[in-house]
Amino acid sequence: MDQLISAILIGLSQGAIYSLMALALVLVFRSTRVINFAQAGQAVVSTYIGWEVVTRTGNYWLALPIAAIAGAIVGAAVESFLMRPLSKRASKGAIAPVASVILTLGLLGVLHSGAAIIWKGDQKLLESPVSAMGITVGETVYPFSQTDFLIIGTALLVMLTFSFIFQKTNLGLALRASAFQPEIARLSGVRVDRIRAIGWAFAGAAGAIAGVLVTPGSALSPNSLDLLLVFGFVAAVIGGLESLIGAALGGILLGLTLSFVGLYVGTSLTFVVPFVILILVLLIKPSGLIGGRKSRNA
Amino acid sequence: MMRFTRSKIIGFATVAAAALAVSTLPAQAAVNETQGVTATQITLGISQPTNGPASYGYNKVAPAMDAYFKYVNANGGVNGRKIKLIIKNDGYKVTDAVNKTVELVSRDKVFALVGSLGTANNIAVSNSPAIDLAGQKIPSLFVNTGFSGFAKKSDFPTMFPLFPSYYMETKILGGYIKDNFAGKKVGIIYQDDDFGDDALAGLKQAGVTIAPGASISYASFSQSVATATTWVTKLKTAGAEVVIFYGVTSAAAFALRVAAGAAYKPQWIIDSVGGDATTLGLLGVTPAVLDGAITTSFLPAATDSADPYVKLFKTINTKYNVAGTVWDNNVLTGMNTAMMTVAALKAAGKNLTRSGVIKAIETQGKTFPSASLAQPQFSTTSHVGYNGFWIGTYDSTATLKPEGGKYKIYTTDSASGDVKVSTWKRPAMPAKGLPK
Amino acid sequence: MHNHRAKRLIGFILLGFVLFLIGNRVDDLRLYQGASVAMYVIGIASIVLLTGFSGQISLGNGAIMALGGFSATLAQSTWGLPLPLTFVVAVLGAALFGLILGVAAARLSGPYLAGATLALAVALPSLANQFSFLGGEQGLQFNSGSAPEFFNGEVSQYKWFFWISALAALLITWLISNILQSRYGRGWRAVRSNSTAAELVGIHSARSKVLAFTLASGIAGLAGAVLALNLGGVSPSAYPLSLSFALITGAVLAGISTLSGSVIGALLLVGMSELVGSLTSRFSLEDVLAENLKELLVSVLLILAVVFTPNGPGDRIRERKELHKKKK
Repeated sequence: MDQLISAILIGLSQGAIYSLMALALVLVFRSTRVINFAQAGQAVVSTYIGWEVVTRTGNYWLALPIAAIAGAIVGAAVESFLMRPLSKRASKGAIAPVASVILTLGLLGVLHSGAAIIWKGDQKLLESPVSAMGITVGETVYPFSQTDFLIIGTALLVMLTFSFIFQKTNLGLALRASAFQPEIARLSGVRVDRIRAIGWAFAGAAGAIAGVLVTPGSALSPNSLDLLLVFGFVAAVIGGLESLIGAALGGILLGLTLSFVGLYVGTSLTFVVPFVILILVLLIKPSGLIGGRKSRNA
Repeated sequence: MMRFTRSKIIGFATVAAAALAVSTLPAQAAVNETQGVTATQITLGISQPTNGPASYGYNKVAPAMDAYFKYVNANGGVNGRKIKLIIKNDGYKVTDAVNKTVELVSRDKVFALVGSLGTANNIAVSNSPAIDLAGQKIPSLFVNTGFSGFAKKSDFPTMFPLFPSYYMETKILGGYIKDNFAGKKVGIIYQDDDFGDDALAGLKQAGVTIAPGASISYASFSQSVATATTWVTKLKTAGAEVVIFYGVTSAAAFALRVAAGAAYKPQWIIDSVGGDATTLGLLGVTPAVLDGAITTSFLPAATDSADPYVKLFKTINTKYNVAGTVWDNNVLTGMNTAMMTVAALKAAGKNLTRSGVIKAIETQGKTFPSASLAQPQFSTTSHVGYNGFWIGTYDSTATLKPEGGKYKIYTTDSASGDVKVSTWKRPAMPAKGLPK
Repeated sequence: MHNHRAKRLIGFILLGFVLFLIGNRVDDLRLYQGASVAMYVIGIASIVLLTGFSGQISLGNGAIMALGGFSATLAQSTWGLPLPLTFVVAVLGAALFGLILGVAAARLSGPYLAGATLALAVALPSLANQFSFLGGEQGLQFNSGSAPEFFNGEVSQYKWFFWISALAALLITWLISNILQSRYGRGWRAVRSNSTAAELVGIHSARSKVLAFTLASGIAGLAGAVLALNLGGVSPSAYPLSLSFALITGAVLAGISTLSGSVIGALLLVGMSELVGSLTSRFSLEDVLAENLKELLVSVLLILAVVFTPNGPGDRIRERKELHKKKK
C-alpha cells in the first residue's frame, strides 16, 4: 500500500514538470503550428540565469520569477527575429513542412553550445528553498517532500493562470483568434504578429519555470533539460497538441506511468516507456487524447 | 538486355583494374615504437569525462595529473624530456572515447595513453580495430577503473590497471560485512554494466547474499532524484539494513540524499570510486548525511595531512594545478597515477620505446614508488596493480577514519583467493616525490 | 532512359575508382574520416529519401541505424555470417522495422510523427540495457576482420574500412539515385506536393509513404552497420539523439531533396570536426571549448541554411540561373 502511494506521489510530482514543458510546447504549437525544440535550450538558458540569481543572492524565490521573465524575453525574441522571417521565406519546396522543426533544432544547438561556452559544461547545483525531506504521516515517511509540493503547486498555478488568461481575458481571445484564423483576426484589428510573440513569451516562461523546478532534483548542465523536452513533447503529443488540458493530462499520465513502471519493474525502462505510451495513444487516437476537435476552447 | 551486358563489362573491367592497382600498393607501416617521443618531449594522451553527469569529481583527475607532470618537468623531466599531456573529453560515452582516442593516436600522435577512465570505454578502445591498441603496442597505462578483466595480460597486452579491482573490493567488503554485520539484510545499488557486474561477482565470492528485492541496478546516466527515490523505496520495502552502493559519485549522491530525505538510514557502504566526501559534498551530501558511511581506499585519506605524499601533492596542487582547485581524493588519485607513470617512463630508460615501457612495468613495477598503501603487483605474467584496500568510516565532519585508527590493508585477488591482512610497509617517499 | 542509366552507372564506377586511388594516397586519420564520411552519406541519404522526397519527418533515424548496427553484430556472433551478409541482415532488419513503423507513421501527420520518432530515438538504444544479449552500456563487439590474405597484409585496417565503407556508400547511392528517378521517386514527389492530386492520378498515398519509410530505414540500417564496422562494435552511446539530429543537419545544409547533397552534407559534418580538431591541436585550445565552438558553428550554419537556402545552395543557384535566363 505504501508502495502504491509512493508511486502515485512520485508520479504526480514528476508529471507536473512534464505538464509544464508540454504546456510550453502546446502554447507555441497552437499559435504558430511550430514544434519548438529549442524550448530545451531556452529553458536551460533561463535556468542558468535563475542559477546566477540564486548564487548571487541566495534567494530561490527571487530566481524563479526572474528566470520566468528571462524565458519570456528569450521566447519573444526567438519568435520575432527568427521564426517570423523564416515563415515568410521557406514556404515552398521540399523543406516547407519540416523547415520550422529544423530551424528550432538549429536554435537548440546554438543555445546548448552558447550556454556551455558561457557557463562551462560542468554540473551546477541548484538547491531547493524548502526541505527535500520526506513527509511523515503517522509512522511512515513518504518520498514526498515540501519541494514536491512546491513543484505541483507552482505547476497548478501556472496552468490555472494561463487557463484564465486564455478563457477570460481579451488577450486570451486575441491569442486564440490569431492561432485559429490569423487573417480574420488581423482584419478585426488584432496585431497578430505581436500577439504571436506574446504566445511564445508565455511558452518561454512556462519552460523556464519547469527548468528551475526540476533542477534541484538533478543537476544543471547545458544538456540537462533535453530529456525533459522529449518527455514534455511526448506528454504534449499524448494530450493532443491542441489543448492546455491535454498537455496537463498527458504530463500527469506520463509521470504516473513512469513512476509505476520504475517502482514495480525497474528504472532501466525509463527511456522506453514514453515511446510505448506514445505509440499506444497514437494508434488508438492519432490526434492525441484531446486532439482533433474543431472548436478550440482551452 | 543490352544495358545489362554493358554494365557487366564495365563492372568487370573495374574489378580487374582494381586488382592490378592493388598489387602496386605500398607496404603497411610497421609498429612505431617511438611515436610521440622526441629528443625533448614525451606526448601522452588521456580521454576522460570533462563534462556530463559522470564527470563530477572525475574531471579533476586529468588536470591533477597534468599538475604533477608540470612539477616533474620543472625538476629535470624524465631522462631529459618534458612530458606533455593532451586531455580529451569523452563525456563517459563509449563512442566518444573511441573517437577521441583515435584522434590522440592518429592526429596528436601520442606515445601512450594514461589514466583513461571508464570500464566500458576502455573495453571499446581496446576492441577498436582502428586504434589497434595491441597491434601497435600502444601502452594504456594505469587506466582509471577497477575492472578486474584488464589485468589479464593475454586479453589486454598493453593495458595496465592500477587500482585494485572492484572484484577485490567487494570481496574484502563482503568479508567485512560477514564479520561485522552478520545476520543483517544486505541490499545493493549498482551500475548496470561491467562495473556493477564485477562488484556483484566479488560479493558472491565472499559469500554474501543479497536480500530478495534489494538488488537494484540502474542504467548509467539515468540517475536523478526520481530514480533514486525508486531505489530507496524498494530498499525500504525489502528491509535492507546494510546497503552497498556501486556506481559513480553523482549517483551515490542522489542515493544518499534521497535516503536521508526519506528518513531511511541503513549502513551505507560506498565504493571507493564514488565515495569521495568533497565531491559528494559538492553534490549536496552534507557531513550529517555522510556520517557513519563506510568506504574504502588504497591511498592515504585525503585529509591525512601527516602523510608525506599528501603534504607534497597538496603543495603541487596549489603551485601547479588550475587556480582554485580544491584538494580532494580525486586530485590525490590523479597525482598518484601521474607519479606511477613517471616512474614507468624513467625505468624504461633514455631509449624510450613502447615495448620498453611495457617491459619496465612488468619487471620493475613492484618497486615503483607511489602513495599507495598496498603494494603494486605488476609482473611478467599478470598486469594486476594494487591489490588491496583499507576500510574506513566517515565521522560527523566528513573525515574518513580508518578502522581501528591505523591503516589496515586487506589484500586479495580477483579470483577465489582468500582475503589476507597485508604486512607490507610502504617504502619512504623518494626525495622531492620524484621517482628515480 | 537507357543512356541515362548507363551514364549514371559509369559515373559511379569512375567515382569508385577515384576514391580507390585517393584511399591509397592519404594517411590513416584521413582514411578513418573518409569512412565516417561514407557512413554519413548513407545516413543522410536516408533522410533525403524520407524527408526530402517523401516529406515525412523522422527525428529517429539514428535509432534505426542502431537497429542495423545491432542486427549486423548479432548476425555475426549468432550465425557467424561473413561481413557482406551481416550488412545485408542489417538492411533487411532495419527495413522490416521501417515497414512496421511506416505503417504506423502513415497515419500520423507532421508534428505527431516528429514526436513519435523523437521518442523512438531515445527509447531504442536504451533497450540494449534491458536484454543482456544486447550487451548493455558497453555494447557488443563487431569483428570487422581485416583485409583478406589476397592483399598480403599490405592493407591496413584503416584502409580496409575505408574501402568497405566507401563501396557500401557508392552502391547504395547508386541504387537510391535509380529509385529516385523511377516512378516511385516521382510518386513521392507528387504525394509531397499535393497528395489529393496524386491520388487522382492513381498514386496510392499511404502505400507510397510506407514504401519510403521501409526503404529509408533499410538505408539507415546500412549506415548503422558501417558505423559498427568502423568502431569495431555497437553500443547505445554510438547512436545518441545527436546522431539523428546530425543526419537532418547534414541533409538540410546541402539540400534536403538532392542526393548529391548527402555527400556535401557528410563532408561538411566530418569536415567541421576535423577543422575544429586541428585548430585545437594547433592553438592548444581546450577540447571541450572546441567541441562547443563546433556545435555553435554548425547550428548557426543550419539556421542560415534553413532561412536563406531552404532547399539547398544548389537550388538557390538554380533559381538565380533561371532568373538570369528570364532576363535575357
